[in-house]
Amino acid sequence: MKRCARCGLPETYETIQFDSYGVCNICRQHEYKKDKIDWSERKGMLDSLVQDYRGKNDYDCLIPFSGGKDSTYTLYYLVKEYKLKPLVVQFNHGFMRPNLLANNERTFKKLGVDVLSFTPNWKVVKRLMLESLIRKGDFCWHCHTGIFSYPMHVAIKYQIPLVFWGEPSSEYTAYYDYRENEIEKVDESRFNRFVNLGITAEDMKGMIQKDFDLDPRDLAPYTYPPIRDLKKLQYQSVCLGSFISWDTKRHFEVISKELGWQGDEVEGMPTGKYSYEKIECYMQGVRDYLKYLKRGYSRVTQMTALDIRNGRMERQEADQLVAQWEGKKPPSLRLFLEYLEMSEEEFNKIVQKLVVPPFKPDFQKIPSAGQTKDFDRWYREMKA
Amino acid sequence: MKGALESLGWDPLLVSTPREITNASHLVLPGVGSFRTAMLRLKEAGLVEAIRGYAQTGRPLLGICLGMQILASWGAEGGGEEGLNLISGKVVALQTGPGIRIPHVGWNTVHLQSTHPLFDDTKNEVDYYFVHSFAFEAEKKNQVYSETEYGVRFSSAVGRENVFGVQFHPEKSQKNGLQILDNFCRWDGLC
Repeated sequence: MKRCARCGLPETYETIQFDSYGVCNICRQHEYKKDKIDWSERKGMLDSLVQDYRGKNDYDCLIPFSGGKDSTYTLYYLVKEYKLKPLVVQFNHGFMRPNLLANNERTFKKLGVDVLSFTPNWKVVKRLMLESLIRKGDFCWHCHTGIFSYPMHVAIKYQIPLVFWGEPSSEYTAYYDYRENEIEKVDESRFNRFVNLGITAEDMKGMIQKDFDLDPRDLAPYTYPPIRDLKKLQYQSVCLGSFISWDTKRHFEVISKELGWQGDEVEGMPTGKYSYEKIECYMQGVRDYLKYLKRGYSRVTQMTALDIRNGRMERQEADQLVAQWEGKKPPSLRLFLEYLEMSEEEFNKIVQKLVVPPFKPDFQKIPSAGQTKDFDRWYREMKA
Repeated sequence: MKGALESLGWDPLLVSTPREITNASHLVLPGVGSFRTAMLRLKEAGLVEAIRGYAQTGRPLLGICLGMQILASWGAEGGGEEGLNLISGKVVALQTGPGIRIPHVGWNTVHLQSTHPLFDDTKNEVDYYFVHSFAFEAEKKNQVYSETEYGVRFSSAVGRENVFGVQFHPEKSQKNGLQILDNFCRWDGLC
């Protein structure tokens, strides 16, 4: 596969393009982020945005919160830097890990914030996972859509117009290019552009209602609320990372020190190296594995690419880590197959159809990844 | 038009009497049809004076398509008729030519000539949706806020104080068009 001459991202990466130097657009937009964006001007914009909404409603802002490093830092920053009173809203995708729950409790208690948590119907979630796996090779539709739509419903219910997300999508993809020099609005266009995998809740209803006892209201949490309601609220839904230069590693250091936030091991990721990334979901290993089977790279490539762009790693070390860690079958796959009552052959057959050329996975020769310490505490379906 | 405004969170009312116009906070003149017929109907209903009176109060007025054209002093369509005369100029027929079919239907580029609150947060040199056979020739250049090419270069947005008009259909022009409508609903009529 063709790869970026600088960061090593492959041609199967979504939204990637290479210029005449063989350097990818994600690298180029990072250069722009570093050199061209006037971050002190952006900070000024944040000051006035906060000023416009402070003290006007029951809460100053709403912060959708997974408990990962980005939302934790966002919450920390807005409470400490601006002394805002946020409503923290958590969409529970169903796979929260013990260490994450401990981090969350510590964060909420240390900062002193109000928190709402919402967990959708597990039976519906499983059916949604199956459908989006079959259609897109990405079983996380319920999580992508729920995370981005549910908090907007809460914003309307509680009349909180200002919503702060964390990392802008320009950090990883070019759906919103840093070089456009615009504030990425986390709205319905963005939701439909890539968040929902091109499947709306209405589409999903049509896809699953034949074989699933669906109450149409079951899909409400995954449906983007009416734009009229949001406009009436005069909502502003933005990423903190559009106003302050996003620096994951530094944020990790800050929340570790200030909130006692702890990293974790993740299936298939180099031990100790990226302990701050994607520690919130015990299906992450399956997600990364699927990415590898479809596109021939995994999150090791993404993480090392980001380190290279930030001048924190040489390409040689990155290539070594990728060779050593990527493309291994995670122990969580067994749980996943149990949830969906599916054999591994059936799983492979579904994935086979969704491979992104020119990559070709070899299902015969896949080594296994190691178990993480909390594996035995992950939910198992009761045997009938 | 009503649906577009509702989706933006506003509560539009269809109005047909002078009294309702006098009470409006913002007034939109939409329009499909012919210049002369439109003006005669407005006269019949006693709305010409109501609209002029409304405009004099300084509250925001937006004309769209034919609604923009009748802001002019005079229009050629239908044999010639006086307009509302809120923005000096006349409305004349677009001319056919090689590759130029009348009516002008579809997306075309709007070149902004100067800034205006109604164009805030929109992009310059983007396309809006047009359907028309006649076009506005403004008398004063500083009242032309955008131009568009179709055989000739015509005024696609005109304005004077609290009165504004666009030849294109913002309600059919996606993101930038909806932004204009939203801006209008927030506008205090000052430039």
